[in-house]
Amino acid sequence: MIDRKNGRLLALGAAMIFLSTLAVLLARQFSVGPERPVPAWRVFGPETAPVNIVEYTDFGCPACRHASAKLDEMLRVFDGGLRVTFKNYPLLNIHPWSLRAAALADCAGAQGRFKEYAGLLFEGQEKWSPAKAEPAEFQAYAKQLKLDWPALQACAEDPKTLQRIRLEISEGDMRGVSATPTFFINGRRAVGSGQLIDQAMKFDNILRGARKP
Amino acid sequence: MNGNEKTRAIGGLLARLTLAGVFIYSGLVKLMAPPEEFAYAIETYRILNSQLSLWAAYAVPWVELYAGLLLAAGVYTRVMAAFHIVMLAGFELLLAQAWLRGLPITSCGCFGAKGSNSLSQEFIMNIGLLCLAYAAFRYGGDYSADKAVEKRAA
Repeated sequence: MIDRKNGRLLALGAAMIFLSTLAVLLARQFSVGPERPVPAWRVFGPETAPVNIVEYTDFGCPACRHASAKLDEMLRVFDGGLRVTFKNYPLLNIHPWSLRAAALADCAGAQGRFKEYAGLLFEGQEKWSPAKAEPAEFQAYAKQLKLDWPALQACAEDPKTLQRIRLEISEGDMRGVSATPTFFINGRRAVGSGQLIDQAMKFDNILRGARKP
Repeated sequence: MNGNEKTRAIGGLLARLTLAGVFIYSGLVKLMAPPEEFAYAIETYRILNSQLSLWAAYAVPWVELYAGLLLAAGVYTRVMAAFHIVMLAGFELLLAQAWLRGLPITSCGCFGAKGSNSLSQEFIMNIGLLCLAYAAFRYGGDYSADKAVEKRAA
């Protein structure tokens, strides 16, 4: 039988374990932990921008295509006040080609054409997304942008590229991302472009104030 | 408590808190990052396969955090200090086998993916931590929850 002294120590230990677990889980939920850095070609807007949007996106998701257009518009309108960071969160169970698309877009970024390749992927999403075999569109877009296709393929198959994307997926999981597109606007969560606009409106004054003359 | 005993007790307390701080920090850094990151580091030691590495990456940071907190508070101080000695000895064995096998590990993964030391740095640091764990085991019993509970019970 546990004596009084051991009982107290066990209770104290259990309380510490419980409270520390709770604190860590809460800290994870509120994204207190450091964010993984992303390649420079996936970041748009000045470092000094007062409003930061981090988007978890999937090239195969129609709502992400819609949100991408909205973000482009916001970047144009609030030039200087907004910084947008794209992170990959391909929903592999429903969009089997999204991981490949994300890897190719990142590798197009390494060749200086991320934005353009990503734009073409969203534009042609309905063509390549339901494909049974590797979609021919991936190569066609590369040719259209005059990218080095063999280098692009090799880069997209490089374990380092795939590891970077998979780590972004697990970072998204830790931040409670389960749908795309999910945004963090100065840390506030928004899912879908409707919520993005709603949240962004809360920063309207800051955005307008920071806009370049 | 005479002067010598007091010095030992304070030394033991400092050793306990320093060692606990290192483990708490190490656990927290890993817990706030995706577990896959630490799992990749574990895989490079080529002891566990990728699935087991992932399970280890889920479990080890929590164990480090809990053990560090309990040691810092002085809950079952000697047991916790002995547990730290066992953990550190295990880490040393892992590092040593990687070094003997000439595995191409540039970062040990001990403090997450970003702030890790090389194998040799970590090996030397762990020897220092083992000394602290020994000091905590021998002299870390004062100024602890164990003593506070004991006094209350008396």
